[in-house]
Amino acid sequence: MVFKLSGIVKRFGGLVALDHVDFHVADSEVMALVGDNGAGKSTLIKTMSGAHIPDEGEITMLGKVMHFRSPQDAWQNGIATIYQELALAGKMTVVDNIFLGREMKRPRFGIPFLDLPAMRKRTDELLTQLDVHVPGIDSWVESMSGGQRQGVAIARALNMDARLIIMDEPTAALAVAEVRKVLDFVIRLREQGKSVVLISHNIQDVFEVSDRISVMRHGRCSRYVRPAKLPHKKSSAS
Amino acid sequence: MSIAADTRPVLRLSSPTATRELYLFIAILLVGAGFTYASPYFLTPINLIQTLRAALELAIVSAGMTLVIIMGGIDVSVGGILAVTAIVIGKSYQAGLSSFLVAPIGLATGTLLGTWNGFLTTKLKVPPIIATLGSMYIFSAIMFIVIGGAWISGLPGTLSPLVNGTVLHIPASALVILVVYAACWVLLRKVPFGRHIYAIGCNETSAKLVGINVDRTKIATYALLGFLAGFAALLYVARLRNVEINIGTTVALEAIAATILGGTSIRGGVGSLLGTLLGVIFIRIIQNGLVLIGVSSLWETVIIGILLIVVLTADAIRNRNNPRV
Ligand SMILES: Nc1ncnc2c1ncn2[C@@H]1O[C@H](COP(=O)(O)OP(=O)(O)OP(=O)(O)O)[C@@H](O)[C@H]1O
Ligand SMILES: [Mg+2]
Repeated sequence: MVFKLSGIVKRFGGLVALDHVDFHVADSEVMALVGDNGAGKSTLIKTMSGAHIPDEGEITMLGKVMHFRSPQDAWQNGIATIYQELALAGKMTVVDNIFLGREMKRPRFGIPFLDLPAMRKRTDELLTQLDVHVPGIDSWVESMSGGQRQGVAIARALNMDARLIIMDEPTAALAVAEVRKVLDFVIRLREQGKSVVLISHNIQDVFEVSDRISVMRHGRCSRYVRPAKLPHKKSSAS
Repeated sequence: MSIAADTRPVLRLSSPTATRELYLFIAILLVGAGFTYASPYFLTPINLIQTLRAALELAIVSAGMTLVIIMGGIDVSVGGILAVTAIVIGKSYQAGLSSFLVAPIGLATGTLLGTWNGFLTTKLKVPPIIATLGSMYIFSAIMFIVIGGAWISGLPGTLSPLVNGTVLHIPASALVILVVYAACWVLLRKVPFGRHIYAIGCNETSAKLVGINVDRTKIATYALLGFLAGFAALLYVARLRNVEINIGTTVALEAIAATILGGTSIRGGVGSLLGTLLGVIFIRIIQNGLVLIGVSSLWETVIIGILLIVVLTADAIRNRNNPRV
C-alpha cells in the first residue's frame, strides 16, 4: 500500500469540507474519485498534494507518516498533481510553466543559471510523448485553448516523474480524441507501476480506466465500487 | 476570445514589452530633439552628465521597484527607506566610522527596512500598498525624531568617485547604473528566482500550488528593493555630503512612474528592466529640459501624470478586451 489517508478532517470556517475521510491507493492502481459538485473531491486531493494542511487525520506513504506543509513537500516525496484550476501562469511561456518551481539549472560561477536549451528540449519531448499540440513552446499559455492548457499541465506532471499522480478533472475541457490520449496516458502510468488518483464527472471514462471507484458525498468517502467486475473493462486495461 | 492579446511571436520572443520600450525610446529622442532646438545648453556633455548623475538614485531604486511591481506588489515607502538609511549613514559618519564600515551599515539598514515591508505583506497578509504606506509614515516619523528638522551636514565624500568619477572617459554613474541593471537583469531573467517573481505576479495561487515558496520570494524581493534604496542613500550622501530634510520625498512615486511608463504592468506578471531604465531617462530629461527652457518644474509633474493616466487607461482597455487571466 503506497499511499494512505486516515480520518482526514478539513474545515473551512464552519464548513466541514472533509469529514473523517479514509482513502488509499496502491502501486499500479488507478483510483477514481467521483461525486457531486462541492462534495469535497478537490479539497481531498489538495490535502494529498500539500496544498491544504488537514485539521485532523494522518497521511502515510509506504507506512511512514507524512506531514506535508506545502506542495513542495509533496512533490519531493513523489506526488505530482494536476489541479482542477491547472495552476498555470498565464503570461508565461509553455516552457516556463512546465518547469515552474523545478527549473533545470546549469550553475556557473556559483550562480544557478537557468538551462533554457535543456528545458526547451525536454518540453518538446514531453509534448511529443503526450501528443499535445501547442502554437509554440514560447507562446504564453494565456493565449491557448482550454485543451492546450490542460495538455501543458499534464506535461508538467509527467515531467515530475512521480510515484503518485493526482488528476483533478484532467479531461474536463477536452474533445473526444484528446480524452482518449489522457485515458491512454493513465493506463500507461499504471503499466509503469505508478499510482493514479483520477477525479472525473465522466462515468464512462472512470469505468474504463479505474481499478476502484470511491464515491464522495458531503465530505465523506462513502463506498468503493470495483469496476473490474464490469464485463467491458478487461478489454482496455492490462 | 483574446482578440487584443499580443500574440505576435517575434515580439513576444524578444520581450513582451518591446513595443513599449520602442515607443519610449522614440519619445526620448523626440523630447531630446525638442529641447536641443529650444535650448543651446541641452545637448552638451556637461548637461547630459549632470542629468545622468541626477538620475543615479532614481535609476537604482527603480530597478528594485520593477521587480516588486512585476511580482504584483508595490512599495510606496522607498523614499522613507532612503531617508532613514541616509540618516543612519550620516550619524555613523559623525560617530567617526570609516566608509568601510558605513557602507555595509547603510546597505544592511536598507535591506532590513525592505525585509520589514516583505514581512508585513506576507505574514500579516496586508495589501502591499497599505502596508508600505504604513511603513512610509513610520519611517518619516523616525526621520523627524532623529534629525528634528535640521540637516545633517559636512559629511565626508569618500564614495563620491562612484558619482562624479570617470573610468576610461565613461562617467562612473553610468557604470554604476549599468552594473545594477545587469545584476538585476540576471536575477530576473537568467535564474529561477526571476521566474518565480513573474509567476507570483501572474497568479499567486498557481505559484503556491506548483511549489514556489511565495513568502520567501516576496520577502527577498522587498529586501532587495530595500538594499538598492540603501545603496541609493550611500550615493546620495556621497553626492551631496549632507542629509536634507526633504530627502526621498519624490523617489517612490517617480520610481513607480518610471516603471509603469516602461511597460511593466501594475497588475504584475509582465515587465522589463530596460523599459524602466528608459522611463527613468525620460523623466529626468523632461525635468532637466524644462528647467533649461525656464518652465516651472510643476509642469513636469503634470506631464508625467498625464502620461501615466494614458498608459494605465490603455492597459485597462487592453485587459477589458482580454479578460482571461
Ligand atoms: N479554500 C476554500 N475556502 C472555503 N471553502 C472552500 C475552499 N475550498 C473548497 N471549499 C468548500 O468546500 C466544499 C468542497 O469543495 P471542493 O472544491 O472540494 O468540491 P469538489 O468535489 O471538488 O467539487 P467540483 O466537482 O465542483 O470540483 C465546497 O462547499 C466548497 O465551497
Ligand atoms: Mg473540484
